[in-house]
Amino acid sequence: MARPTSREQILRRQSFVRLIAFLGVIGFTFLIILQVENMLVSCLLAFVMSYIIGPIVNILERKNVDRVLATTGLFVFLGLGVSVTGYLTFPKVSNSLQSMQSEAPKYIEGVTKLIETIEGKLKPLQSTGIKFSLSDKIKEQLLPATEHFFSNLPGVLKKLFTVLLLAPFFAFFMIKDGRHFSRNLLALVPNNLFELTYNIYHQINDQMGQFIRARLMEAGIVGLVTWLGLLIIKFPFSGPLSVIAAITNLIPYIGPVIGIIPALLLAMINGLSPFDMSMLLLVYFVAQLIDAAFIIPVVVAKIVDLHPVTVIVVIIIGAQAMGVVGMLISIPVASAMKVTIGTIFRYLTDYRV
Amino acid sequence: MNFVWENIFKKDSDSKDLMHILSENYLFETLSKSELKFVKEMVHVRNYRPGEVVFRQGEIGVGMYLIASGSVDILVEGIPAEKLEKQTVFVTRLGAGDFFGELSLVEENGRRTATAVSSIETKLIGFFKPDLLEIVERNPSTGVKIVTRLSEVLGKRLKETTVKVTELKRELRIQTEKV
Repeated sequence: MARPTSREQILRRQSFVRLIAFLGVIGFTFLIILQVENMLVSCLLAFVMSYIIGPIVNILERKNVDRVLATTGLFVFLGLGVSVTGYLTFPKVSNSLQSMQSEAPKYIEGVTKLIETIEGKLKPLQSTGIKFSLSDKIKEQLLPATEHFFSNLPGVLKKLFTVLLLAPFFAFFMIKDGRHFSRNLLALVPNNLFELTYNIYHQINDQMGQFIRARLMEAGIVGLVTWLGLLIIKFPFSGPLSVIAAITNLIPYIGPVIGIIPALLLAMINGLSPFDMSMLLLVYFVAQLIDAAFIIPVVVAKIVDLHPVTVIVVIIIGAQAMGVVGMLISIPVASAMKVTIGTIFRYLTDYRV
Repeated sequence: MNFVWENIFKKDSDSKDLMHILSENYLFETLSKSELKFVKEMVHVRNYRPGEVVFRQGEIGVGMYLIASGSVDILVEGIPAEKLEKQTVFVTRLGAGDFFGELSLVEENGRRTATAVSSIETKLIGFFKPDLLEIVERNPSTGVKIVTRLSEVLGKRLKETTVKVTELKRELRIQTEKV
């Protein structure tokens, strides 16, 4: 075995080994998160929770409350709050689901009729030769899909239950011992890369925290405005529709369009008058107007500076790679990559003596 | 059996050492025991081999280092007017208890003005800007104590620099008059 000949060689070899160990730990963690069932969603939710609850724990700590006590107290308080809310709303949710299940065939029939009407109107324009019935196809696909959804519901709920148990558990330790974990991980970084890595870590951490808090606030406001608007115009399912609008709003540009689709379908099936339809569109438009005119410029735009074309491309890549979860995490991941690449590039090129 | 006991208590003794080193440093000496314990959880202990670079002149600085054991050489690279090649000038050798790089704690993306190289096996305690900001956010009274001391240090350094610049200017004027 060749022995290292100089001090520089020994230092370089040690740095290399430490770098491999550091990247190995990160890679292994990512592998576990991606491979173990429910782990990715649980970890993402835990991150979101820690970014929301963390600052509250810091405020309590500032008031001389012990960090462990503050974290435990907050989780117990939130846990009780969620349990009581769940207990009180469960019968309502259950009834809602049962009514949705019983009314699903009616809505499918409505969609089919709607498409049949459109088909009838399009018939004179159709060229001869190709005979294709869109309504029959939809009926064939939609009924089994709906039955499949309701038969799979217990499985989905079980998965949701696992995530809802794991995420707070992870979030608790992220807040309580997060600094300890990150310090131990950073201890593996070679000395020559330590300051650079620490700088990148903090920039990403700060940006993620601000981004998640801003996006959740934005989604909450959009959901609230939509809910109030739908209540005012007395539109059915205002609660679930506003939740859908809030969640889909987390996906930039495409999200609001996806969010309005269920409401439009319901409106078409129920045969809403043009006035009611325009009122429905107005509700969603006002929610988006408030979002675009006040929330995005004041809160979100300052945090993540990505070009609209980049945003769309990143969302498409996210959707193709990981579906809905990919669409939701694509922007924070892209901005983290931008921070990392930008800082490394500046470190390597903008070197002044 | 002795080595077993040494291993069992190693972490605790390391931790006590760290507390002791922090308590003796000018920046942290006004802190109470519980505040020192809090700061101890924030800092980063790094070990350096002889000749290993801590940071280089021109790099973006993130924070300061306190020498727990060993020594660090401070070097400045400059281009003298009559030569084209870079010349490294030895400025000083710092020992246990000294600290350096503190300007980075208050600067926004400030560059290192010198290169720091460990001259022997050295243990450094890194205290960085994000750590200081976290202390200020989570425990403002501790943060204020550290920032006050940091301001005193920076003020003192500025005074020393002003005196040196004045001396150099006077010397330069004398030399010019002689010529």
